[in-house]
Amino acid sequence: MSFTRMMEGNEAAAWAAKLARAEVVPAFPITPQTELISHIASLIENGTMKAEYIKVEGEHTAMAAAIGASAAGARVFTASSSQGVCYMEEALWMPPGLRLPIVMCFVNRAIAPIGGLRPDHNDSLLQRDNGWIQLYCENSQEALDTILMAYKIGENRDVYLPVAPCYDGYFVSATATPTVVPDQGRVDDWLPPYRHEMYSLHPDDFRRPPRPTNIAKARHEVQKAHDRAKKVIEDVDKDFEKVFGRGYDGFIEEYRCEDVDAVLITMGSMTGTARDVIDMMQEDGKRIGLVKLRGFRPFPSEEFREIAKKYQAVAVVDRNTSYGSAGGGIVSMELARALYPMDDRPLLLNFHVGLGGSDVTLRQIEYMADKTLEAAAKGRVEEAVDWVELHDLGEVM
Amino acid sequence: MNEAFDRRYDENMLQGGTTCCPGCGGPLFWKMALQALGPRTVIYGDGPCAMCAIRNIKIPTFNLHFSFVADGATGIVNAFKAKGWDDITVVSSAGDGATGDISFGKISAAAERNENMIQICVDNEAYMNTGIQKSGLTPYGAWTTTTPGGKESNKKDVPLIMAAHGIPYMATVSVAYPRDLQAKLGKAKDIEGFKYIHAVIPCPTGWRFDPAKAVEVSRLGVDTWAWPLYEVEEGVLRMSRKPEQKPVTEYLKAQGRFRRLSEEQIEYVQTTVDERRTNLLAMEGKRITL
Repeated sequence: MSFTRMMEGNEAAAWAAKLARAEVVPAFPITPQTELISHIASLIENGTMKAEYIKVEGEHTAMAAAIGASAAGARVFTASSSQGVCYMEEALWMPPGLRLPIVMCFVNRAIAPIGGLRPDHNDSLLQRDNGWIQLYCENSQEALDTILMAYKIGENRDVYLPVAPCYDGYFVSATATPTVVPDQGRVDDWLPPYRHEMYSLHPDDFRRPPRPTNIAKARHEVQKAHDRAKKVIEDVDKDFEKVFGRGYDGFIEEYRCEDVDAVLITMGSMTGTARDVIDMMQEDGKRIGLVKLRGFRPFPSEEFREIAKKYQAVAVVDRNTSYGSAGGGIVSMELARALYPMDDRPLLLNFHVGLGGSDVTLRQIEYMADKTLEAAAKGRVEEAVDWVELHDLGEVM
Repeated sequence: MNEAFDRRYDENMLQGGTTCCPGCGGPLFWKMALQALGPRTVIYGDGPCAMCAIRNIKIPTFNLHFSFVADGATGIVNAFKAKGWDDITVVSSAGDGATGDISFGKISAAAERNENMIQICVDNEAYMNTGIQKSGLTPYGAWTTTTPGGKESNKKDVPLIMAAHGIPYMATVSVAYPRDLQAKLGKAKDIEGFKYIHAVIPCPTGWRFDPAKAVEVSRLGVDTWAWPLYEVEEGVLRMSRKPEQKPVTEYLKAQGRFRRLSEEQIEYVQTTVDERRTNLLAMEGKRITL
């Protein structure tokens, strides 16, 4: 039976792993992912979930065991954060090239040093080049739904890629919001059991993709899988909405973007705060909207070009750093490349905020929105990359 | 006659042809091991020499890099458990560098979890695939390209360390003693839980000896007690062979890698060998205390 209750992101994610009938869960604890895997341990202990839970000795082994289990024919779930993701790095490059549809949650947390236990996006964005699909979630419900979708996307034979649902530590992982846990039977009808067409390690049915003879072609296959994944991600989202009544507009959601001059682009939990600020500002007659970026890999370049036509200025709110980069944060650089082919590009602004997990406040979002509207009105950008937290915005913290 | 060849080819789980050096003990080891393990076996192996030896294999294999020992096999074992496929033997193979150095913690952790697999160390006593560099399992005094003056520290005693984990079964083997090797693998196959098999594999290229003498050099290793054969089953140690001890110099002189050892160094090696022999004989038939 379906049920609804207040639930933290980590508990919602554990229920998703259960509903997806993950068969093998290799995991190693790290704050703020810990409650996720301890919830899974409890679900297994009390008989609600049936899975082999491997209490591995480190994240490198967690991903390696996930790879072995996925190739051997089991549906796999795991999760990590921050230092754990860094320690796992070598293993994280394997599943995309091996075409194994592992699902791993990134419970976002800043990377040391000059960080803390709270979230920014550098841990998951560190994986932007290795072939994982990345979907960013705003709250518990979206985390649960996205994990279910992740299996359907990754296990699609046109895709066969690992998928990372990402959600912010604490702001999502440990914040209880009303969450619907769908009925197991309906999930079973929607998500068929895992069967990989390319792999089996059973002696009676041994299959494995042949070793690539042309490296460039083999790598391009992964690129092509990402290209095909775009449609699959959109389709799965629509299909999910039809069956479960909740959808997330695929890659990007435009929030109150009718008749606006400029938009802020956010990712993750800060989107919720930004919605409130946009509501308030529009009440005051300010022509600012919000775009929530949900799918970062594959990057929705065409979709952005399509909507960017409508605005004079777009501002990327980057909760990450890329020191010495071509300009600003990682998402802003991606967007710059995506918008470059346009004849009539909007102005592009970039804000660094919420670094090392500091709060992204209403006032900060208002500040960024005002700056973006100012640029739109003037027709030029005064400060291309703005570290918002260095300004005294008159807040009592 | 042709039929006999065909049948033999069909039965042999290692295909003809190998990418290994002439005289390599690797293919020899795997041919014997696979006969004992049988066709319902999956091998998860690491990158270097050990993998070259088993690349041409007729049973399912899966491999990552050599920093990935026992971990992928852990995933495979648990996937099979989740599926209820309980008649398949999962083997995890690794070289000495992977076992003793970079993946040492992984093997220790899989042993602690008592994963149902056979972990094999295919030990040619250096990073041979990258061109003979010292590993933690290179013996004292051996020349390698990173120890041009001879290794200054001792070989890590991984077999006893693994036995100290309290695993159900641990055994050392040598390609010079095929029946012992096959009996131990056969025993490991039938025991539930984590099994560790350590094979020292002769490497003419890295040890500097005539490729024709691989088995001969291996036998000298056992007969001088440089590589004693024993097993620890349910914590109880048993010697598999107690040969009359030959002087270790016979083993050292057979290999170019020990050419520069001084008389004092040879004496030191003899002392360490004697000590190990005394310790093993003292422990024989007893439970290893943890």
